[in-house]
Formats: sequence, structure tokens, C-alpha cells
Amino acid sequence: MVRARGLAVLIIATFVAFACGGTTSSGSKGEIDIASDLPTSGADASSGLPTQEGANFAVTRAGTVRGYTLKFVPFDDSVNGVHDPAHGVQNVQAMISNNLILGMVGPFNSNVAKAEIPVANAAPLAMMSPSNTNECLTVTYSYCQSADGFTAESLRPSGSNNYFRVAAPDTFQGPAMADFALKAAPAGLGITKIAVWDDEETFGQGVANNFAKEFTAKGGTVVDRKSYDPKAKSDFHDFLASAKANGAQGIYVGGTSATGACKARGQMAGLFNPDIYYLGPDGIGDAQCLTDSGSMATSNMYATQGVADATQNPTAATIVAAYKAAYPGASNIGAYTFAGYDCAAILIDAIGRAIDANGGKTPTRAQVITALGQTKNFQGLTGVITLNTAGDQTTPTLQFQQVQNGAWVFKSQFAVGGTTS
Amino acid sequence: MIGALARMPSTLRTLGSSQVSNLIGLLIVAAALALTLQHVLQHSASLFFQILIIGIADGSIYALIALGYTMVYGIIELINFAHGDVFTLGGYFSLALFPIFGIAEGKAGFGYVIPLLIVALITMLLCGLVNITIERVAYRPLRNAPRLAPLITAIGMSSVLEGAMYLWRGPFSLHYPDLLPLTRFNIGPVNIGVKDLIVIAFAVILVVVFTLFINLSKLGKAMRATAQDRDAAQLMGIDINRTISATFFIGAALAGAGGITWGLYISSVDPFLGFITGLIAFTAAVFGGIGNIPGAALGGLLIGLIRAFSDSYFDSSWTEVLIFGILIATLVFRPTGLLGMRVPEK
Repeated sequence: MVRARGLAVLIIATFVAFACGGTTSSGSKGEIDIASDLPTSGADASSGLPTQEGANFAVTRAGTVRGYTLKFVPFDDSVNGVHDPAHGVQNVQAMISNNLILGMVGPFNSNVAKAEIPVANAAPLAMMSPSNTNECLTVTYSYCQSADGFTAESLRPSGSNNYFRVAAPDTFQGPAMADFALKAAPAGLGITKIAVWDDEETFGQGVANNFAKEFTAKGGTVVDRKSYDPKAKSDFHDFLASAKANGAQGIYVGGTSATGACKARGQMAGLFNPDIYYLGPDGIGDAQCLTDSGSMATSNMYATQGVADATQNPTAATIVAAYKAAYPGASNIGAYTFAGYDCAAILIDAIGRAIDANGGKTPTRAQVITALGQTKNFQGLTGVITLNTAGDQTTPTLQFQQVQNGAWVFKSQFAVGGTTS
Repeated sequence: MIGALARMPSTLRTLGSSQVSNLIGLLIVAAALALTLQHVLQHSASLFFQILIIGIADGSIYALIALGYTMVYGIIELINFAHGDVFTLGGYFSLALFPIFGIAEGKAGFGYVIPLLIVALITMLLCGLVNITIERVAYRPLRNAPRLAPLITAIGMSSVLEGAMYLWRGPFSLHYPDLLPLTRFNIGPVNIGVKDLIVIAFAVILVVVFTLFINLSKLGKAMRATAQDRDAAQLMGIDINRTISATFFIGAALAGAGGITWGLYISSVDPFLGFITGLIAFTAAVFGGIGNIPGAALGGLLIGLIRAFSDSYFDSSWTEVLIFGILIATLVFRPTGLLGMRVPEK
């Protein structure tokens, strides 16, 4: 018993020694931490982990900013393998109580952002999301309160903005796919009847509604509109039978692989011809979706991504190659890896400018937010990034991906400028 | 005479209240049927039959799972919440066994019928052994404890199994190979998949064989005797522990077979699949009358049909409300279920 207590004291003493050593041994002006909050365990890890690795790579590559040592502090917001808003809020509270953290990369999911923004806003703490796409997070549209239960203002109790993102909002993802589906053959898919499903989440429902709105407005018909509870729905045969009976030429599913959006594709075998189209937002554009699709992972699957493909950007080639050397696995590159890199790099850039503005001294969190909002023509891997006061890129890029030989590959991308406000 | 008069109103009152609740129940069912009929008529007959077959396929798998719930409840009055996860385990075990027998996607054919059946048998055996172990470790020591205690260990075992599958194959949903023929054919306006028929046939055969076993075999007789009166059964020379173990084994074997069938039908399994599927099957068992074996089969079939019709003609958001509404309504209005609960006499 006494020996055990002695051991405990020894362990604590070692920890204290290390903790003290960490801050005193470096010859720099001090330490500045950049946190991340992403779903990095469980089913969501297939998209969250490569994003965290991208952000980590940016921080490690920079190493220092204006004489301060940079450190990356990752947090995981998944519970039982799925992103969890309440757990995300706990992470943000932990970040706020750590004075070294001046900004965070994340969150990954829109419903987590909805919970985290008010908490971070009160602190205030700068948030820089690589992948949130819900449009109501930054701009108040007339339907935000009734459809999603919040508005951009209601998320920001302090009245000023602390949240920024690089991904294109859902107002673009859904409609862009709708236009693509309707357009005649070589440029698009040339279909007029479609079934639209969503997974009852903030993101899934938003993107599905925006798709349906545009598809109908441009002359197409939504022949079947359904929602499913991802926890309860594992047999999609009845949905598929209903879509087929209604004459759907394809299915648009507002959901993510983690919410089972691609299980239905796997169950289509036999029921539909393999040439039936399966379309979705960035949430289905990952490896897990292809696993779930099984033999139906054919070239008639398309997904949008809210960010540009960094490998299409010649000026990003060196850094992309360096990343691939550091993280050689196929699972180390997700759709939002380089967006994660850009978010961390933009934060570091803003912190640098905030230090300058503060006469070389450690800036306050509010000063970092101000500098972040002034980000202009930042040369990122995913493009040249300028942020507006609402928190969006002034000209975000949208990318189309198609399945080819069992992998998602780049098809095309275009800028979707002119966000309101 | 006076006593009889005094008793009269109370008899009338009980009669009246049960009639009223029956009437309310009937009205709700009639309204639901009318609403469904209206939706069905808006669509083609071919869709109706297709959904009917999907509902029967789902329902027969729910029935396989519900049997395990109902048997265990019948014999030791425990709701074995780990049962749904034993069902998922069936999917996981078979997935691990496929490569050993050279079964893989795209290799489907008559040559694989025997290996597939062998995999099914081994899986059922493994699931049975797991369930016996669970009973031995988590339920038997608590057999004389307050009834809440084994219920809590059951929920605990459910989490343990989910965690074990999570650690074994990861949190992702796994693709289950398409091994059944994908051919479909038409009978008049009705489009039928061979896959659906195989799933239904497999489940129905198991349910029938099992019901015959319970009714005709010596062990089945011992099970029924133990369920009726454990002490008397023991006095008659029945080994109670062995009989209860056998009940857990058979229930789990059926659930394991259900896991394989479900995997083949929906082409994927994930660690948490059994949680909600188990709850739905449990509802089916209560709906049919918990402890009642034909009741569980009927309940499973009806719940499967309700789920399929609600999902395709209405919206899946309503399905859970409907299914768990049925659970509540059954418990409130007709606690003995459709075919009557087998209440142990004590």
C-alpha cells in the first residue's frame, strides 16, 4: 500500500517534471497551440482522420510563427464511432480553458458546428472548419430557423463572428448536382426523374432539400421523397422498390457513409440495372461508401465535394508530394485532407499577423479572430482563399467526383462565387 | 342475493372497460388499415406485392430472432437484451468463416450451397455456445436475485458483445458478399426476386422445424415443463440447468441463422445492427404474446409487414413511432399479446 502510494507520487513527479520541461526548455518566445476537433475514431474516422493528419502536417511543417513554437493539439468528437455534438462542446470547453490554444481547426460535421459555435463565440475562440457545408451556419436565410432550428445570428451570442470555413456551403452542393443530373449527356447525366432521400440530419436534410428545389425548378421531377433514421434503417429494399415503381432514373441521397447512405446502393444489385445513377454530397465521397456499395460501386456513382482537388493545383504539388511522403497510406488522403491543411495554415497566417499587430507579443484570441477575418488572397493548396465577414470564402470551389475502378476520382471542378453578404 | 347484486356493477364495469379498450384498439387498427389502403390504391399493384414480399422476408427474420426472446422469457422470465447482439454475431462469425470455405462474392452458384450451409451450421453452433456462456456467467448466478439484476447484466452483456465486435472488425459497416442469386422473375404483374424467396424459405423452414422440435421432442417437453413450473419439473427428474442451457443454445442458434440471412439479404453488417433489430424483434415477441412460440412467429411476420409498408408507402420516420407504439399499445390494451402470453403458474 505504502509502496503503491510511493509509486503514484513518483509518477506524478515525473509528469510535473515533463510538463515544466516542455515550457521552459525551448529557446522560443513561448508556445502557441492550434487545436483540432474532428471525428477521428469509429466509422467517421475514414473522413476525420485524414483531415486531422492534413492539419497536423501544416502545423509541423510551419514549426514556428514569429518566434513562437507551434504545437498541434488534436481532439476527437466521436462517441461510439459517430460524431457527437455534445462531445464536441466538451472539447471546445477544454480548448477554451487552455490559454495556449489560439484557434481550432474543425469541426467536421455541421451539426457539431451548430452546437460548438455558441460556446466558442462566447469565449471567443477562432474556429476554422475544413468541411462544414450547412449554409445556415454563416448566412441567415428565411428558412434557417424553421428548417434547422437556428440562424447564423442565434449561434453568435456575442454579436461578432468567430467562425470561418473553406468548404462551399450546401446552397451550392445540392443545386450543382441537380444541374449536373439534368444537363444532357456528355456534360451531364440527362435524367429527369429522381428519388431523393435524406438521413434526417442537419446536413443530409439541408443538402437533399436544396437538390430537390433546384431539380424541380429546372424542370425535373422528384418522383419519391423519403427520410430514414440511420440507427433503425438497414434494409432499404422497400425504399428501392418504391423508387423503382415511381420510375426513378436515379437516387440522390442526402447523407454520409457513416449514416449508412451507401448501404442502399449495395442492396440495389438485382433490383435495378447497374446503370442506375446514385448521386450524393461529399458525405458519400469516401472509401466506406464504396465498401458498402459492393458490386454496385460502378461508374454511375457521383458525388460533389465542397473543396477543390489540391492535386489539380500545380502550385500545391510540392507540399502535396511532401505530405504523401510523410503519410504514404491510401487511407491518409481523404477529400478534406488538404482543406484541413489549409485551415491550419490560414490560422497560423492569421496568428502571425495578429502577433505583428500586437507589437510582437502574444495576441489575444479576439485579435486572432480579427486577423482571420482579414484573410485575403491566401495561397492555399485548395486555391486562393479570401474570407468574408460572415465566415465564408468569397469564391469557394465545387468539385465533382465519379467512381472509376473502385475509387472516387476527380471529374471536374468550378468556382461558385458570389455568396451573399 | 344482495352480494350478487353488489357484485354486478363491478362485473359490468370491468366488462365495459375491457370492451372499450378493445373497441379503441380496433378503431386504431381500422383507421391505420384504411389509410394504408388509400396509399396502396394510389400506386401500382406490382409495388404492393413487391413490398408484401419484402415485408414477409424481413418479418421471417424478425421471427427467427423473436423466438429466442420469447423462449428465454418463457423459461426464466428474463428479457435477454444480449440476444440482438448474438444475432449480429451470427453475421460476423459467418463473415469470418466464408474465406475458410472459399466463399466470396461473385463465386455464387450451386457448388456453394453445401459450403454455405456448413458455414451456417458452424455459425449457429458458435452463437449457441456464446449464448450458453452468457447464461452461465451473467444470468445463472443471479437466478434467485431480484428480477432487475439479470435484466441489468443482460444490458451489460449486450454492450460487451457490441464492444467485442467493434474491437474485432472495427466500427465500420462490413460488406456482406452477395451470394444469393439476383435473378428476378414476373408472375403476372408481380416481380419476385429469387433472393427474397430463398430468405423466406430458409427462415420458415427453421421456424417450423423448431416449433415441431419443441412440441414433439423430449427436450422440448422438458423445456415446456420447466417453463410451467420449475420446481415441479425438477421433482420429476428434469435437469433444470441443462434445460435452460439448451433453451439459450437453440434461441441463439436461430438468431445466428437470422444473422446470416439478414447479412445475405441486406449485404452489410455493423457492430450495432443488433441493437435496434433486437428491439424490433422483442416488440414482435411481445406483440405475439411473450412466451408464446407461434405468437413470436406471427408477431415477427406482422412487424416485418408493418415496417415495410410504413417505410415504402409513408416514411421511415413514422415506422419507429408505429412499431414502438404497437409495443406500448400491446402492453396497455392487451398485455397477453395476440395469441396470449404463457404465464407460468406459481
